[in-house]
Amino acid sequence: MKRIFKVPFADVSFGFVSFLSALLILILIISVFIVLYKESSPAIEEFGVLKFIFTEDWNPVKEIFGAAAPLYGTIVTTILALLFAVPIGIGIAIFLSEISPSFLKTPLGVAIEMLAAIPSIIYGMWGLFTLAPIMKNYVEPFIQKTLGQIPIIGALFQGDIMGVSLFTASVILGIMIIPFIASVSRDALNLTPNIMKESAYAVGATKWEVIKDVMIPYSKLGIYGGIVLALGRALGETMAVAFVIGHNPEINLSLFQPATTITVTLANEFTEADTDLYLSSLFYLALILFILSFVILAVAKYFLIKAERGFKR
Amino acid sequence: MNATVKRRKIISLIALSLSTGAALFGLFWLIFILFDVIRNGIAGLSLDLFLKDPAPPGVEGGGLRNAFIGQLEIVFFATIIGVPLGILAGTFIAEYARGTKFARVVSILSDIMVSVPSIVVGTFIYSILVKPIGSINLGGFLGVLFLSVVIAIIFGGILNFVVNRILNNISIKNPATVKLINLSVVLTTVLFGLITFIVLFPKFVDKIYGFNGWAGASALAFIMIPVVLRTTEDMLTLVPWTLREAAFALGASYYRVIKDIVYRSAITGIITGVILSISRVAGETAPLLFTSFNNQFFTTNMNEPIASLTVMIFTYAMGPYEDWHKQAWASALVITLFILLITVIARSIIHYKFGKHKSQ
Repeated sequence: MKRIFKVPFADVSFGFVSFLSALLILILIISVFIVLYKESSPAIEEFGVLKFIFTEDWNPVKEIFGAAAPLYGTIVTTILALLFAVPIGIGIAIFLSEISPSFLKTPLGVAIEMLAAIPSIIYGMWGLFTLAPIMKNYVEPFIQKTLGQIPIIGALFQGDIMGVSLFTASVILGIMIIPFIASVSRDALNLTPNIMKESAYAVGATKWEVIKDVMIPYSKLGIYGGIVLALGRALGETMAVAFVIGHNPEINLSLFQPATTITVTLANEFTEADTDLYLSSLFYLALILFILSFVILAVAKYFLIKAERGFKR
Repeated sequence: MNATVKRRKIISLIALSLSTGAALFGLFWLIFILFDVIRNGIAGLSLDLFLKDPAPPGVEGGGLRNAFIGQLEIVFFATIIGVPLGILAGTFIAEYARGTKFARVVSILSDIMVSVPSIVVGTFIYSILVKPIGSINLGGFLGVLFLSVVIAIIFGGILNFVVNRILNNISIKNPATVKLINLSVVLTTVLFGLITFIVLFPKFVDKIYGFNGWAGASALAFIMIPVVLRTTEDMLTLVPWTLREAAFALGASYYRVIKDIVYRSAITGIITGVILSISRVAGETAPLLFTSFNNQFFTTNMNEPIASLTVMIFTYAMGPYEDWHKQAWASALVITLFILLITVIARSIIHYKFGKHKSQ
């Protein structure tokens, strides 16, 4: 019988090409670090690390750059957005997994997933044309008249109201991350075994007690993961914030004043940077943002992996 | 006893109404946004928007034809670059490297990469593809390099096919000869790639300079790769291992098993992943701001700065003219509908495919 040896070239080369593609992912991530570090090295040499982070000046004319104002804006908008979005997102998740009648579950779930797919620029534009005027005419004056009168907290709500402010940006960001938190938390809550819920009901627990004492503790890690994931998204969001924050590189105690974030500074000034030190300082900002979000996303991933392992057990 | 039961019931009722309230409040904002985009978008829609180029600032009329074409072009090339890389890498970590540490690291890293701020991706691509380093035009260099690698791989594929066809009818008994033939095919391919690079380099290196469409497409591809990789990995893992064993038992090579068995069973899932990744990047603005930049004029040349719908929306919405705002709303509606449409398609594929599986 004639034996035919096929040349297994395709086998080897396919494996090799796919290996190269997988390797490319690693190379890309490492090269983001290297390239951003290399590009920002003039600014790192000039300003150092701590000095850069704690300097408030951002003066392209005098070539003095500090990251304090954008960093402050980024952190404050993110925290406020989470304060706004976490209760609502978890509320939606609880509603979808336990309260909602079953015929509403699928359409509402799909609606949430679709809203997560809407591009951030749409949120930003809506913020500029619709939310900012509402904030300016109704919400911010109201808060100023009520909360603004309380002695210490009042300092947060002072100044002229323009609608374009740190506060408006945080609200937009909050609205944007609600779907992320809701869908991850819903998935986590849904993983609670029915038998655990049923045994809690059997000993006479009310619905809320089942949610609070059985479902939430069981799916805690998944919910944390969702929140931290949303935190990572909020930190790096550009377009939703760029429209409504006003890009003002100063630190104001008042939330009703325009401010800036790292992403907004990059979006507005990157193409205008005319000197090497200016561009390098912008790359430095990008590097800080990259490291921040990388660490936060890694933490989120850690929670989610742990949660998954817990469920498999 | 009765009093505590009553209290617990009341607390439960309050808490449940609170979370229902939270759900309604959240949904209210989200519906508000959609409604507003549709209302303002329809008011601004007109045929001119698709058929005319932008009018000079301040002049009424004009459209965004260049931005629509540019957006399609950038997303198309991003798909061409990102999807094969993502699928191949996903195949590697789900098949060849299944269960290894390498696979795990790549998988976790790409999960992180999915959510890395897109503007950082923009700055990264800017510094390697747009900004010249001293007198070296790195963007042009990498562009030509990529082009030659692609050409070499296609050449290698064809060469391999031809060699296979010829050798299929000849019996080769000596494994060493097989190895030698393989080696020579590989060497020819590499040599061909090198020659292509050397020939193309002086011709093309200066074509790409400064902001260009390729940089925009690469930035979007950078975002697509991890999305495609992760879905491919998940879908391939879902294919039962026994199916592969059956094919191995017939004497098929791993490549054939992947091509004819694994891909065939997972193709719907992979396509869904590709569609989802397109919907993920189609609305991205931040990575395009300093890569493909913007262009007031109509162009299909990817070597130049090229207009995209999202960057145009940003410019127009921030601009001072009422007419610009109207066009921005209309474009926002178009892009939202496009993304929602492809998301619905992808979701219904998943639903159809995996809903059926469950019932079996």
